[in-house]
Amino acid sequence: MSPMPELLMGILLVIANLVLFLALAPFFDGIVRRVMARVQSRQGPPLAQSYYDLLKLLGKENIDSTGILPFRLAPLVAFASMLCVIAILPVAGRATALTPYADAISLVYLLTLGGVAVLLGAFASKNIYALIGASREMTTMIMVEPILFMILMMGVLKTGSLDLTAVIYGTPSAGFGWPGVVMIVVSLFALQAFVARQPFDIAEAEQELLGGPFIEYSGPNYALFKYYMMLKQMFYAYLPIAMFVPLIHSGYFIADLAVQMLLTALVFLLIGLLSATHPRYRIDQAIRYFAVLFVIALCAIGAAVIF
Amino acid sequence: MDFNIYNGLMMGVLLLVASAIVIPLFARHRKLAGGLNFVVCLVAGVIFTGVACQVLTGAAAPATFDLHLGGWAVPLMIDGVSAVFMALISLMAAVTAFYCVGYMEMDHYRHYSLRGFFFCYPVFVAGMIGIVTVDDLTTGFTIAWQMMTIASFFLIRFDHHDKVIVRSANKYLLLMELAWVAILAVGLMVPGCTWGSSLHQIAGQLGLVDPGLRTLLLALTLLGFGMKAGMFPLGQLWLPDAHSVAPSPISAMLSGVMIKTGIYGILRTLFWMTPDNMPTQELQHWGMVVALVGVVTLFIGTSQAVKQVDAKRLHAYSSIGQIGYIIMAIGCARYFLGPEVGLHALALLALFGALCHTLNHAVFKGLLFLCTGSVQYTTGTKDLDKLGGLFGLMPVTAVVAGIAAIAVSGVPAFSGFTSKWAIVGSALLSGKAVGIFVIFGIIALVTSAMTLATYVKFYGMTFTSVGVEWNEKNDIHEVSASMLAPKLLLAAVCLVQGLFPFLFVQLFGRVLATSESAMTRVLGTPEMLSSLAQSYAGVTFRLGDSPVAFSLPLVMIAMLVVALLFALWLRKAGGAEERTAPVWLCGYQTLNSANRYLSSHIFDAFKKFTKWTGGNVRGA
Repeated sequence: MSPMPELLMGILLVIANLVLFLALAPFFDGIVRRVMARVQSRQGPPLAQSYYDLLKLLGKENIDSTGILPFRLAPLVAFASMLCVIAILPVAGRATALTPYADAISLVYLLTLGGVAVLLGAFASKNIYALIGASREMTTMIMVEPILFMILMMGVLKTGSLDLTAVIYGTPSAGFGWPGVVMIVVSLFALQAFVARQPFDIAEAEQELLGGPFIEYSGPNYALFKYYMMLKQMFYAYLPIAMFVPLIHSGYFIADLAVQMLLTALVFLLIGLLSATHPRYRIDQAIRYFAVLFVIALCAIGAAVIF
Repeated sequence: MDFNIYNGLMMGVLLLVASAIVIPLFARHRKLAGGLNFVVCLVAGVIFTGVACQVLTGAAAPATFDLHLGGWAVPLMIDGVSAVFMALISLMAAVTAFYCVGYMEMDHYRHYSLRGFFFCYPVFVAGMIGIVTVDDLTTGFTIAWQMMTIASFFLIRFDHHDKVIVRSANKYLLLMELAWVAILAVGLMVPGCTWGSSLHQIAGQLGLVDPGLRTLLLALTLLGFGMKAGMFPLGQLWLPDAHSVAPSPISAMLSGVMIKTGIYGILRTLFWMTPDNMPTQELQHWGMVVALVGVVTLFIGTSQAVKQVDAKRLHAYSSIGQIGYIIMAIGCARYFLGPEVGLHALALLALFGALCHTLNHAVFKGLLFLCTGSVQYTTGTKDLDKLGGLFGLMPVTAVVAGIAAIAVSGVPAFSGFTSKWAIVGSALLSGKAVGIFVIFGIIALVTSAMTLATYVKFYGMTFTSVGVEWNEKNDIHEVSASMLAPKLLLAAVCLVQGLFPFLFVQLFGRVLATSESAMTRVLGTPEMLSSLAQSYAGVTFRLGDSPVAFSLPLVMIAMLVVALLFALWLRKAGGAEERTAPVWLCGYQTLNSANRYLSSHIFDAFKKFTKWTGGNVRGA
């Protein structure tokens, strides 16, 4: 293929990625809500409820509780950073036009930027609950982010490259060996923390902190944060699928993608089930839990280095 | 030409020394003296930078030069590495001198004479320039080290009515003299070397001695320079105390550039003082040890920084952490330069990261200290428990501090990112060849999340959130333009460093071309340099033919801007109205100092979890 159509294709893929995530993320959120409700013997909201929520919030009054720039900037940065992550993500093995401009380290730091934006907003909002939430959010981030990175690291070790396509899709699943199996288990155990759901929704903790970092946000600002959370959730649910489940290589990109999305939906089912059946951890318990996961993941990396 | 650069060096140093004698005479007129001090530092800085440019644009490493002072010969050497440090010292010295003019007007300092201050400041700068240009461990080194140490000792104890400050300063002096003794001992213990032996001679002799003695001598040198750089556990002994009690511009100098002379020393020790005939395995062991020390330093330093409540102590501990990154990179590079040719490119990446981070850290940490200084100037405190909500009151300082805080956290497209990317990347990409470095890389990455936590807390508790309303001082306002200008300049430098890392690649190429050692011979070849491909958008690192790591801040920032615009559109899309309304506090309509969430409460669980790393603050 000549470079021009390839570039065009790449740009199309960036847009396709964004559309895919923006369109599906609220739906997946709906699945979780429905599953949780069913487990708790409730009817639950319709699957499209998260779309309605976003639309409604976008039209509601935007209340600014502080009048300073960081408060208004935070939701924008959070949402934008997540869009960037999605734009560089090689979904179903296809590198987008932006993938060659960011490596695994950039990806991790971009994800961090979203977290920073949430914290910035929380700190700016002059509310004690927001500060407590921010403190917990940051603590969780310190503990969880390394685990995410170590999952990616498996790919880095096998391919000797930090290029995202190589890291995520460069190794056949069998190539990971048993350290790979350990890492799958670790990523499943860390899943709830990645997506900030029970038992690790410590930062938002509606019952005790009334939404934590987001307490002062309303209207479109809150909608952006909500959307950011949903996108982040979808990214984290999709990542283990992309890393560890082989593409079916049907020859059709759409078919590969559809299978992966189906599997992602299954991950969301799991998230819903876990959320509904687990009570929230205290932050100190969560830290110990993550510490154990961290050590296990580090051992898996160590094993992958040696073998 | 060679004569010229040493002439320039001498001229600059003499100018600084002369001003140290003249300016104190005007110390009664505080602003005039400050202004003169700035002019002298600027002129000397321009001279030094001119020398540095001449060296860096040269074809090869300039010849060394023996300076004769009475009966003593002092070997001098200005090569590419020295030139970079000289330029850095000049920049920070001039900017900080300008800041001093306004800062020393602070109410608290009104009753202190500035005579000593303006005597010590230029001597301090001259001493640092000396350290990075002398080429021995004895005569010249002693002169430069003592100028630097004693002058900085008096600068640290400027506020000498406070016993705690005097004690911190004394401790600093004692430890620095110990470091001096260690390094001087090495210079004299090497067989066949005496006062005024150049590093080259020392290296030659070290190649002949018994490996046991060689190990001891190298260890002593590293210990001495490590003490200055803030290496674990030596840094913890003096650095947080000294940096937090000095006047803020002096803290900026200490953290920004003085501890970098320790890095300079470590670099010289590992790559210049090691003889060519030393077994590569022994060298690799040194690399491993230094990298390990670096990892421990960066982890412990940063985890201690998270716990701090005093803003300047927080910056000081974080300096230890950031120095750890540089030490780790230097150690990794030393290791990678072993027999395996495949790893040499990674050494290039690691050293590039070390150089980048040295320059970046100097600017953003200097900036952070200056911002904290401004906060202290106007509010009278640096206690994070008492600060908060300054964004509305001092917006310019807040934005500038925001840039620095983002840079130190390594957010993409800001200056800490590319350097940390290079350091972490080089460790991770070693992969199966050196498994332990992968673990180091992961720890470094964990630590950068902790750095982020540290600076989120610092920024949140100083500029956003609430608290300063209940401070004892009520007339809080933005500082004067003369104190803002240096910060704005540094912020601009910081942004440029972040957005255009290709400048560093070019600089690094010049440094390699204009220095002379076994390392530069290996890494300075065009084939090797081509593995760090550069374009205006950023840096790409290649192993073999394929690019394996990329840091492209310009693309990143463009992407973020487009996404931000989309987000902005989405926010407006619903046509929602905006309104400002005060926070609803469940009936406690007026928030006050008694019911707020303090800095010492933040990350409580995490602080308990990392209690074993030390640096705990009582009651926090």
